[in-house]
Amino acid sequence: MSGAAGHALAIRGLTKRYGAFTAVDDVSLDVAQGQFLTLLGPSGSGKTTILMAVAGFVEPTAGAVLLDGRDITPLPPERREFGMVFQGYALFPHMSVAENVGFPLRVRGQSRADRDAKVRAALDLVQLEKFADRLPRQLSGGQQQRVALARALVFDPTLLLLDEPLSALDKKLRAELQEELKALHRRIGRTFVNVTHDQEEALSLSDTIAILNHGKLVQVGGPTALYERPRTRFVADFLGKSNFLEGTVRESTLDGFALEAGGARLQVKLTAPAFPPPGGSVVLLSLRPEKLALLAEGETADNMVEGTIRAWSYLGAGFSLVVATEHLGEIRAVLPAWKAAIAPAEGLRLRLGWAADAAVPVEEDAPPGDTT
Amino acid sequence: MHGTYGAGPAGRGVAWITAMYLVLPILIVIPVALTDQRYLSLPQEGISFRHFATVLTSEEWLGSIWQSFTIAVAATVLAVTAGTLCAIGCWRISRRSTDLIRVLMLLPLIIPSIVYAIGLYRYFGPLGLLDRFLGVVLAHGVTGIPYVVITVSTALAGFDPRLEQAARSMGASLSQTLRWVILPRIMPGIVSGAIFAFVHSWDELVMVLFIASREVFTLPRRIWDGINENLDPAMAAVAVLLVGFTLLLLLGDRALRRRTEAG
Ligand SMILES: Nc1ncnc2c1ncn2[C@@H]1O[C@H](COP(=O)(O)OP(=O)(O)O)[C@@H](O)[C@H]1O
Ligand SMILES: [Mg+2]
Repeated sequence: MSGAAGHALAIRGLTKRYGAFTAVDDVSLDVAQGQFLTLLGPSGSGKTTILMAVAGFVEPTAGAVLLDGRDITPLPPERREFGMVFQGYALFPHMSVAENVGFPLRVRGQSRADRDAKVRAALDLVQLEKFADRLPRQLSGGQQQRVALARALVFDPTLLLLDEPLSALDKKLRAELQEELKALHRRIGRTFVNVTHDQEEALSLSDTIAILNHGKLVQVGGPTALYERPRTRFVADFLGKSNFLEGTVRESTLDGFALEAGGARLQVKLTAPAFPPPGGSVVLLSLRPEKLALLAEGETADNMVEGTIRAWSYLGAGFSLVVATEHLGEIRAVLPAWKAAIAPAEGLRLRLGWAADAAVPVEEDAPPGDTT
Repeated sequence: MHGTYGAGPAGRGVAWITAMYLVLPILIVIPVALTDQRYLSLPQEGISFRHFATVLTSEEWLGSIWQSFTIAVAATVLAVTAGTLCAIGCWRISRRSTDLIRVLMLLPLIIPSIVYAIGLYRYFGPLGLLDRFLGVVLAHGVTGIPYVVITVSTALAGFDPRLEQAARSMGASLSQTLRWVILPRIMPGIVSGAIFAFVHSWDELVMVLFIASREVFTLPRRIWDGINENLDPAMAAVAVLLVGFTLLLLLGDRALRRRTEAG
């Protein structure tokens, strides 16, 4: 694996229709050299279709795929030199680990000696030197995943494509391999395009996340930007959990506004540079449960609400509460367990507060199939 | 078969009766072949292997066995090549139209072989293929194709198409993918189809009656003639040999399946 820099990928107006059904709708994306991009979306949102179009297995109905500015849309998959880790890994069951990893080199007609050295280096990279002679079915899921990774990297691909590489693994192993994948990306400096429906995986691995829904690109950005400033209700809901508060704007200032929601008056401070909405307009706010704090007797906050606990659960690191409030309906809050001043119980009355910049305005999503 | 209920006594009884019904007519030739008499009958005073000896020393019988064998081998090669290519082609294209092709390939199996034989007789005549080794090989090979198409298609249905995609994503050409990934995965299906195609040719009689007469005189044909002309127990001995050989092939097929299932 040479230290050559990665390559830049661009997707331009990619559309894929199956009959009347639009699986991918006018998606444009840029992945810079050496970046880790994750396509994130629920099942059926078109992630695999986009990845397969990049790999060359799906012929786009419209649009183009560019590598370093060159249009590669007509190129067949075997000529693209992209490494790919398939969903379920797609290891060759009749070949040993070493034969699997050596396959791309055998295809390129490399000599046995060259092959052996590279296979060993690739297996080293994923810490599987000892398993070279095993068959795939004699390996655990995590080991198979690593073989797939070694096989995709051994021929120095220009790009690494990963389709749900960790989704078949249990939670602990997944976290472990996430770390490994991230370290691997740092080390080899290749451009990675990853597909997942797991928001935690997307947040922890990516430089950039592209959120998809119903085949459309909803928002693109860095993990923090997306988490802190979701553009729509869908993004706020899919990337983490969120409360949604709807109200009418009563008073606008330079960097914020006051919102009347169900009889309560909420202060909102805009963090990103944006024009505050005009008075009288209806606005939807997203408020992350962990941004709510339990208020002690006499303590105040920019926004305060009183309510009774409807349901609660213990999460180890914290308590998750569902609080029924008079004005804002049910609100979900997550309190760190180590500093929760209360022992939660159903029916318990409490006061919650949050800062003016904790809630962010989001848009309602366009209904599926709407082509605007 | 995990998670299925075992058969009840009634079910088991029916299964045994059915099995007996199928097997008994075959078993009856065994004592007949071992008869000590000169005509087709059950052993009277003791068993004797002399009819086996007759068969295995007769030039006519051995010639027919050899002819049947070479025809079956050649027909199998033809059927396996054409059937495998057809099945892979249909699988790769996998459109509505390929279903039609697949049904078309099964026609020789569906059409009564006597109809087929009459048809062959009519157009083999002008081609000079009547009573020729090549003619019989063609007839048996073509009618053997469906077996191969069925077994190979079944094997392909269990083939993960992502393996092909994986091979291509690593730069493999179509022929490399075929040789190193697809064929090794479906080999059990191909061998299975080959065994069926071989057996099909090995015991085929109806077409041979029509398109062969003197030059080509296969084993089933000799048995047929033997039964019509004299009731020599040698026929039963041949039948036993035939059954034994077929059984061996089917057991081979079974062992192969076992191995792939375990593997
Ligand atoms: N070959 C196909 N024919 C018809 N519909 C398809 C085909 N492939 C994918 N789809 C549809 O396109 C949508 C997106 O699929 P996919 O990209 O696999 O989603 P994801 O990977 O996000 O789960 C799904 O609704 C799926 O049913
Ligand atoms: Mg998918």
